[in-house]
Formats: sequence, C-alpha cells, structure tokens
Amino acid sequence: MTTATATAAPLGRLLGAELRWVLRRPRTLVMLGVFALVPVLISIGVAVAGSRPGAGLIGQIGGNGLVLPIAAITLSLTLLLPLAVAMAAADAIAGETASGTLRGLLIAPVGRLRLVVMKAFGVLVVAALATLVIAVVGVVAGLVVVGGADGQLVTLSGTSVGLGGALGRVALVVVWAVVQLAAVGAIALAISAFTEHPLVVLASVLGGLIVFGVLGAIPSLNWLQPYLLTSGWGAGADALRDPLPLGGLLESTWRALCYLAVGAGLTTYRMLRRDA
Amino acid sequence: MAAGIAVAGIVGLGLLAIPAGAGAAPQLPPVSAEDLVSSVLAAHPGPLNGTVELDNNLGLPALPGIPQAADGTSTARIWTDGTSKARAQVPSGTGERTLVADGTTFWSWNSADKSVTKAPEGNRPATTPEKAATDPAAAATEAIAKLRATSVVSVDGTAEVAGRPAYALVLTPAPTERTLLREVRVAVDSETRMPLQLAVLANGSSDPALQVGFSDITFGPQDASLFTFTPPPGSTVTTPDQTAKPAKPEGPPAGATKPTVVGDGWDTVLVASMPRQDAGAAPRRGSFDLSSLGTPVSGTWGSGRLITTAVAAAIITDDGRIAIGAVPEQVLTAALAK
Repeated sequence: MTTATATAAPLGRLLGAELRWVLRRPRTLVMLGVFALVPVLISIGVAVAGSRPGAGLIGQIGGNGLVLPIAAITLSLTLLLPLAVAMAAADAIAGETASGTLRGLLIAPVGRLRLVVMKAFGVLVVAALATLVIAVVGVVAGLVVVGGADGQLVTLSGTSVGLGGALGRVALVVVWAVVQLAAVGAIALAISAFTEHPLVVLASVLGGLIVFGVLGAIPSLNWLQPYLLTSGWGAGADALRDPLPLGGLLESTWRALCYLAVGAGLTTYRMLRRDA
Repeated sequence: MAAGIAVAGIVGLGLLAIPAGAGAAPQLPPVSAEDLVSSVLAAHPGPLNGTVELDNNLGLPALPGIPQAADGTSTARIWTDGTSKARAQVPSGTGERTLVADGTTFWSWNSADKSVTKAPEGNRPATTPEKAATDPAAAATEAIAKLRATSVVSVDGTAEVAGRPAYALVLTPAPTERTLLREVRVAVDSETRMPLQLAVLANGSSDPALQVGFSDITFGPQDASLFTFTPPPGSTVTTPDQTAKPAKPEGPPAGATKPTVVGDGWDTVLVASMPRQDAGAAPRRGSFDLSSLGTPVSGTWGSGRLITTAVAAAIITDDGRIAIGAVPEQVLTAALAK
C-alpha cells in the first residue's frame, strides 16, 4: 500500500493549483454563466406575467422579490446543480484517467490522501460557486427586476422579514444546498474513482437522482424515504417560513453528511489502492 | 479506515430511519382511571408551543379545500398563551396557512393567493378542520367528557409521547353500545395532565384509523408577537359580511336545518337535512357530487346511498336527509325511521 510519506508540495499550493485548473476550464465558466441566467430568466418571466399569485414557490415571487434566490436554488437543486457537481467530479478523476494525466499525479510525490482532498476541494468549490452565483444574482434580480415587498421578505407564514433577516435566510439556504451538493459530489467522486469514462459518472449521478425521485413518489415505498438523499430537498422552502422550522433542514443535512461519508470513504478506499 | 468511514455513513442512514420515541415505557406512579379522567378535565396546561401531527387512515375521499380529510399525514405548528390567544400554522409543500387569534380578531392567512381574512373573534367558525387538526388536547378532552358515561375507562400502562412520559387512558365502549369503534386511546401527560395524543381504533384493525397528537411540545411563556398578525405588503384583506354566515366550504350550507341528535355516547347519530339545490343551478364551488359515492340502500325509512368507512357510516337519503355516526348501518336506519 502506498503511504503518504513523501509530501514535497504544501497542501495550500496543491489546492491553489487544483483551483486554477478547475476555474480555467472554459466549461466551468460557461456553466457558472448559465447558472447566473437561471434567476434572471425567472425574474423576467415573473415580471412579464405580473404579480398574479400562482402555484408553488414561483407563484410566491410576484411582488416579493427576495423569494427569488431561495426559489431559484430550490429549483436548480433538483437537477441543474447536481449536474454541475457531477461534471466537476467526472473531470476530477475519471476525466484525468481518460486523458492519461492522472498517471502523472499518482506517481508524483503527493500522498494519495492529499490527492483525494485536492480533488474533493475542486468539486466543492464548483458546488459553492454555482450556488453562490444563483444566490447573488437572485437577490439582485429579485430586488431590481421583480421588486421587493417594501424591501422586505413576505414569508409563507404571512409575516414580514427585514432585508437583513432575508439575506440571512438566503445564506442559510446556500449553506444547506452546498452541503447537499457536497453529498452528491462525494458519491460522484467515488464513481469517478472507479471508472475511466467521465460519461459514466454523469449518467449514474443523473440517473440515480431520477430513480430516487421516482422511488420517492411511490406511496407504497414510503419506508424508503429516510434513505433517499432527494427526499429532504423540499426543505429549502422551510427557510421561507416564520418562525424558522429547522427540523427538516437539519434532518436533510444529517442525511447528506451520511452520503458524504459513504462517498468520501469509497473514494479514499479506491484511490489508496489504485495502481498508477 | 476509509472503508470504515463509508460503513459509518451507511449506519448513520439507518439510524436516521429509526422513528423517534421508540424507547422503553417510562416508570410512573400508578393512578386510577377515575382520578386521571377528572385531572384531565380540570387541567390547565398554560402557555405552550408544539408540533401537531395528524395521521389519517379514515379512507375518506379527498375533499376540495380540506387536504387534511384525505388519508395521509399532515402537520401543524401551534402556539398558545393559555388563554384566548393562539396561533396555528399549517404548512403544505410550498405554501402555508396561518391562523391567528389575537384576543379580539381572528386572522386567517393563505399563502397560495396571499389573502388575509379578518373576522371579529365572536364570529369565528366554531369547528374548522384546521382547528380539530391543530388542537388535539381540546379534541381529546371533549371526547373524554362526551364518552365517559357510556364507556369502560381504564389506564393501560405508560408511553412516551412527544418526548414526555404519559399515561395511556383507554375508553372502551360499554357492551350495550352499538358502534364500529373498538376503543379511543388518549395519552395524558403525567405532569400537566394535558392530553398529548388521541387515537381512534376501529374494529378489525390494529392501526389507529385516526391519530392526532403532539410530535413535540414545549410548555412555557410564549413570545407575545406570535399572537399578533399584520397583513404583509402585497396581500389582500377581506372582512366577511358580519350578518352572513362565514362562507366556508366546510361550514353548514345556508338553508340546512340544525341537525338532530339521536342516541348518546358511542352510538350517537346525527340526522340533518341537506339544502335542496335548484335543478338548473351549477353546483356550489367546493361541493361535489355525493350521488357518485356509496352503495344504494332502501327500507321503511325511504331509500338512499350508504357510505361506509373504517370508523363511520353515513346514509344520504334521496329526499335530502343525511344520517351519520360511528355506528353500523342498522343504527343509522333506525335513527332515520324515527
């Protein structure tokens, strides 16, 4: 077994190198641009449709712009954000295997564990950046295009929250969503470590999410709900309730951390035993 | 090591799936059923807040506007200051209904259309499904008060409900009662003697047909701002006409006579007459065609349709009368024949 003895490069420099490597990829930048478009498009749609109340979270945005960032994150979390994370994870290990560049990293004087940390960091940065882009553009578009309710957030419970409180709730949803995406990313990295085809990672993550969604919609499989990562993803809307109910957010966070442990464990297990 | 982390994650997922409150029965000093009942009827728990869970297996069809009536689980968050001020929030997937009684005014908020209904306290609808679903303590106290005369009351050990030790009070119908129900179980908080959970069990099933109770509860002073309501910007406020009855789909329709009560205790039957709808008039919004339900029955009392669920039966006669009760069909027809 290879042990992490020869560690010439400091961790900070490794992470910096990975960060440059991830952020200089044109596809990452294009993806972030697309994420910025999500809240903009929703806000234009809502502004054109007028402030008629409608169904779901989108219906709450009319005349209540500060709902937009939370609604946009919740909507993107179903497929778009996991897609971005799966893409980053696919590139991180399977992509480098396919292009032959992983061999150089594996024989370089870098501990295997450090390599896993470095790759996971790259995926986490993509997840955090994508969520932050939606949140920041969402707040701006919500206030400028839709217009806030007197600069306040009207919660689903019918109370008003000031701008500071509303931004705090958006920050809470961002942190919560990044933890959920980290769980997706960890599983994607584990798949990425076991295959040399990036497409397999994308297909299994998206296919898995769709299967989870179908399983969660079958009433006779209710007992399965606590095991499905996606079953807690509606909890993002809880940030729009007042007083803030933390139960659903905490439970889905615990579930995500369990998935994170499984993904991280499998990734490390595979990478420590892998031949160069 | 790495494999251990993965296994720990799987174990964690398994732990998350274990339902809360599956612990051992708490040890409590024994209490007689009579003492327990009288302490429940005299209990004043004071200010509290909590989450109420309604588990419905009645087998009713989904009624428009009352999602709580259909089978399934619904939750509500409630706050009360122990007197007349209360707040209830009934969340749905991406919406919420808020009901606030601030002592003088009754506010009702619906996030789906951002509407606020404002009514003076005295005019508030007496029994809405939300109210029944959000106040298990009152529902259980009422059930005990109404049923104790015709029941065998016993204490069936202890249980932990909403994280609090509780006595299990069981009301079984007296042998002379003709009812579909097997028993009503009430979990009574050992300290405050407040009912924490009410379960209705029907004959031939071990799972409750209806269970409403707290899934968590905290006693203590509540934030006074919770018992006020300010219509948020962008909402529409309506004040229902003071003279008209509240136009709620679940309220008694205008023109219906006051229902008569036949029998008492477990085999109580309510007989009411339904308003005659104009032949050409479109069905009222929120009402639905009852004639599509049930099986046809007839007898000396006339003819109609029988609708049965696990815990109750109803007969809607062709001449517009309705008899309903937690009783078998024979008791309903006897009540209609009177």
